[in-house]
Amino acid sequence: MSAENYVVEMVDIEKNFATVKAVDHSFFNLKKGEIHSLIGENGAGKSTMMKMLYGLYQPDAGVIKINGEEMRDLTPGKAIEKGIGMVHQEFMLVNELTVLENVILGFEPKKGVTIDFDEARKKIQTYIDDYHMEIQPDKRINQISVGEAQRVEIIKTLYRGANVLIMDEPTAVLTPQECVKFFEILQELRKDGKSIIFISHKLNEVMEISDRVSVMRAGKYITTVDKKDTNPTDLAKLMVGRDVNLHIKSGNAVKPGEVVLKVDNLWTSGEKEISKIRGISFEVRAGETVGIAGVDGNGQSELIEAITGLRKVEKGTVTLSGKDITNFAPKKAREAGLSHIPEERNVRGLNRSMSIEDNLVALKFDLEPFTKHYTRNKKEVRKFAEDLIEKFDIRPKKADVITQSLSGGNAQKIVIAREVDAGGDLLIAAQPTRGVDIGAIESIRTTLENVKKDGKAILLVSADLDEVMDMSDRIVVMYEGKITGILNAKDATKEEVGLYMLGQAEQDRKES
Amino acid sequence: MSKIFDLTLIYATIRSATPILFAALCCTITQQADILNIGTEGIMLTSSFVAVLTSVLTGSWMIAILMAIVSGVVMALIMAVANIKYSANICAIGMAINMFALAITKFGIKRFLGTSGTYSGPDIVGIPRIHVAAFDNNVFLNEVFNNWCITEVLGIIMVIVMWFLLFRTAWGLRVRCVGRFPMAAETAGINVRRLKYQVMIISGVMGGLAGAHLTLGYSKMFAENITNGRGFMGIAAMNFGAQNPILVWGGTLIFGCIDSIGARLQSYGIPSQFILMLPYIFTITVLVLAMWRKTTSEARKKSAL
Amino acid sequence: MEKEKSNRYVTLLLTLILSMVVGAIFMWLVGYHPLDAYVQLFKGAFIGKVNLGTTLQKFVPILLTGLGFAVAAKVDCFNAGIEGELYLGAMAAAWAGHYVTFLPGILHILFCFLVAMVVGALWAAIPAILKVKWNVNEICVCILSTYVAKYFCSWLCNGPLTAGSGIPQTPNITDDAVLPKILAPSQANFGLFIAIAIIFFIGWMIYKSAVGMKFQMVGLNKKNAEYLGINVKKVVIQGMMVSGALGGIAGAIEVMGAYGYFLDNFSLNIANDGMLASLIVWNDILLVPVMSLFVAALKAGALSMERFAGVPRSIVDTITAVFIIFATMETLFQVSKGRFAGWKQKKQGNSKSEGGKSI
Repeated sequence: MSAENYVVEMVDIEKNFATVKAVDHSFFNLKKGEIHSLIGENGAGKSTMMKMLYGLYQPDAGVIKINGEEMRDLTPGKAIEKGIGMVHQEFMLVNELTVLENVILGFEPKKGVTIDFDEARKKIQTYIDDYHMEIQPDKRINQISVGEAQRVEIIKTLYRGANVLIMDEPTAVLTPQECVKFFEILQELRKDGKSIIFISHKLNEVMEISDRVSVMRAGKYITTVDKKDTNPTDLAKLMVGRDVNLHIKSGNAVKPGEVVLKVDNLWTSGEKEISKIRGISFEVRAGETVGIAGVDGNGQSELIEAITGLRKVEKGTVTLSGKDITNFAPKKAREAGLSHIPEERNVRGLNRSMSIEDNLVALKFDLEPFTKHYTRNKKEVRKFAEDLIEKFDIRPKKADVITQSLSGGNAQKIVIAREVDAGGDLLIAAQPTRGVDIGAIESIRTTLENVKKDGKAILLVSADLDEVMDMSDRIVVMYEGKITGILNAKDATKEEVGLYMLGQAEQDRKES
Repeated sequence: MSKIFDLTLIYATIRSATPILFAALCCTITQQADILNIGTEGIMLTSSFVAVLTSVLTGSWMIAILMAIVSGVVMALIMAVANIKYSANICAIGMAINMFALAITKFGIKRFLGTSGTYSGPDIVGIPRIHVAAFDNNVFLNEVFNNWCITEVLGIIMVIVMWFLLFRTAWGLRVRCVGRFPMAAETAGINVRRLKYQVMIISGVMGGLAGAHLTLGYSKMFAENITNGRGFMGIAAMNFGAQNPILVWGGTLIFGCIDSIGARLQSYGIPSQFILMLPYIFTITVLVLAMWRKTTSEARKKSAL
Repeated sequence: MEKEKSNRYVTLLLTLILSMVVGAIFMWLVGYHPLDAYVQLFKGAFIGKVNLGTTLQKFVPILLTGLGFAVAAKVDCFNAGIEGELYLGAMAAAWAGHYVTFLPGILHILFCFLVAMVVGALWAAIPAILKVKWNVNEICVCILSTYVAKYFCSWLCNGPLTAGSGIPQTPNITDDAVLPKILAPSQANFGLFIAIAIIFFIGWMIYKSAVGMKFQMVGLNKKNAEYLGINVKKVVIQGMMVSGALGGIAGAIEVMGAYGYFLDNFSLNIANDGMLASLIVWNDILLVPVMSLFVAALKAGALSMERFAGVPRSIVDTITAVFIIFATMETLFQVSKGRFAGWKQKKQGNSKSEGGKSI
């Protein structure tokens, strides 16, 4: 095939962030009307690669061609002009503005000096009709669901006249059922001659939707294959570079014991309407892992914050080992036996301006032997930290390195080391493997499994449904701030959990 | 009591409010783009000096206003370059600008006006007032609407212009987006930096008008630190009005009213220091109330009950 | 915030040179002789006992207010209200120094300091409480409340606490509350040694103690500190109160060492100079003393510069203000190291922080 037929060509691209080679001599090309998947682990450089195509980053070396034309100093503005559209992993929508305002932003139809909202509405309606994408133009973004926000993002790119759509991990926020619908939209877009780049690390989805697949690993381009010539096992091997077993199944060695955490009719505030917690009750017993499944933003974060004392409980009680800890300050909740791996590692979990040792000792730096006569004893801190670094295999093995420069996996290991070392009866693990590489995922899951074997209770929250299903003994499914089902992990199927995640099951129950 | 609350209080309120209004508009526009313009005070102080100096040198209030605007824009651009290009902390550079303004005007008054402390020479040409002969015969119209300073009228026009700009034009939509989620703007192909510079320039224009009005309209003099915290009162009004120019205007009117009432209290034998203190205490109170209202309403919106 | 140390000193020096050059050009433009001015400035600051004494006397309050500002900055507060705390502390010391007469010698001095510290700390607690409770911008509250504090002190020394001499000042403090003078006839006094002791105490507190660790954790990442179980609101208020107490001490030393009474409007924005000194060195507590001495020298030298070179002393304020404008620009000298290299470095820095989330 000759080069002219490519809509997008990226040749020998290189990109460095400070000392890290994010993308190293990589290639990518896209044919008109194809769905081309770009796969790789966290940190493989997929997003970076596509952000360069969209003009958000400038490559340090290499050539980007769009429709055969070589692009220099690409900016998002220029990329949009050339027909590139991108749906980012983190939606680029302004919460306080309406859907309509968000869609037209940057490309506002004008009537004199004012914005012509009627014209905009008309134009958007055509996309809604063409692709059967339900959106409500006059709602504010903080009033709509994640699925709808994604549809808004897609319409936004179409409204700007995109022919090439980059989708960065689009299915991470969807239920299995919503995924099916989403793939139908992708197919329709392809039929209309749009070319689609699909970034993912979920191989079954990749096999379902793609025409071709490109693989990246550790910033390097590995290969491009036709879908029909490959299979998930081969792709996994290409992605990781070795055989992997991600399915560390929950062991049944420990028989569930006493109730450790009891949440009773809990109500709490929410950042969005659908994430307000309205009357949640469940229990976690010693020696068991309870997984909370649900599409991101259905109140999981709020629930955890309420339990840990970071958000005010408005009604109901939280009991830990028989002690009422409702609305305890975080410090008192921790003293009662609660450990917490927070979901926002870089904001809550770590102080990124501080060293590894200071982060490791952060829970007890003001106690003996780390502080004596009001003065900190740095030698004791160093000893303590080096111990944990060794035990949890944190790299680099230097206690005084500032955590800013650490990879996602090692940063997460610091948080986990600190929380496991604290030794609470209950360990809350929110998104423990988000944004970490596969090697670290294995080690983190093994650590959690060992904590459980020690007879502690674990409450696991994860947006990754596979992770919840693999790690948990019981699964609590949340939808719009309520529990729609509590299932036994062994008997549950993915489809079943997916139904509960959609709130479908609840409606069925109501109807029957 | 009737000595305090009479018809003239209405105009007195407008009169006291206008300098703060311009200052408030100066930081309202930047706040919409998520830039806390701590340097409002400094921009205002510099341009108030430049206004007086130009007025004395050229004898033209129009050129004086123009030069005040230019100096305001220059100061705002120093802030903008420091903050946007050289990633200076906005509060630090803001305070630096305030200190710079204080120092350079102190120097300027000595070097160019040949005095220290206060200059109120008769050669300052003030901004004229609009006298409408038709209002003369009606007590109400005459007391309330007659003899407004041109810039006082301009202030109200600016409120409307600013509101229109922010909430009706595409540019305003983009500014509001930049203030709330800059990445969303950048991915929409908007040049965030350029927009921020534009916002700072407009802020400088407003600050320049604030300064010019203060020394050529409100009073015909210049003194060291003549702004006396008015820039910060403007920030308080901006917070009170939640960055909406119309509500912000309402906030400045309340400040102006309190100021005028305070001035009238002097004849009741209250120590002058307490009267001078009054606007500051009141401004803090209003600021706290505004933020209290904001936090509680946000909490209410998020509540599940 | 965390720059490499050696890099920092170079940047500081470059900034200093740049602002001196800008100042010189400015002086030349408005018709003065820059070199002459700088020579007189230096002479006026250091040559001769009185000049040195004046520098040291000015150094003390600038140092203390600068440290105060830096401590507040450690808990991520911008304490622009140290001037108010200084006034109230001075007034409190003047009151205690004159009216509390039953305490003997050293105890009287300590009591004066204590009152000044408490008053300063409580005044600083107001913006802190408003900030943590309702997210009220502390800079605004600080600046506005400083006016209140000043007018209040003005009322006190004109009214209830006036010495009655027609000058707005309080009566002299009793002799046992006066700090001994050094380098007479300048106003330098024993307060200098108190201030030096405070440098070590604050340095220990911030960098060596558990309290300081808490301050830093809160200042660098509130959400992380909250999650770890630190009472963020309490720590912010504590930090501001320490800051205010330092302002109070600065005021007390001015009254008990330099003047012997509270004089209306005596300070002329000393705390601004302290804030400036601290801001220039990015609130690095170990560098604040150095920069405070520098600023104090400029202030002291400015007087003789005005006298002997005929340059208004406000030009020195202008140059220091220029200094601070340049100093706040964190990436200024990354560019001048080599246009391309600097640009590239900066680009990477930016995109790194943006990319951190999603890669």
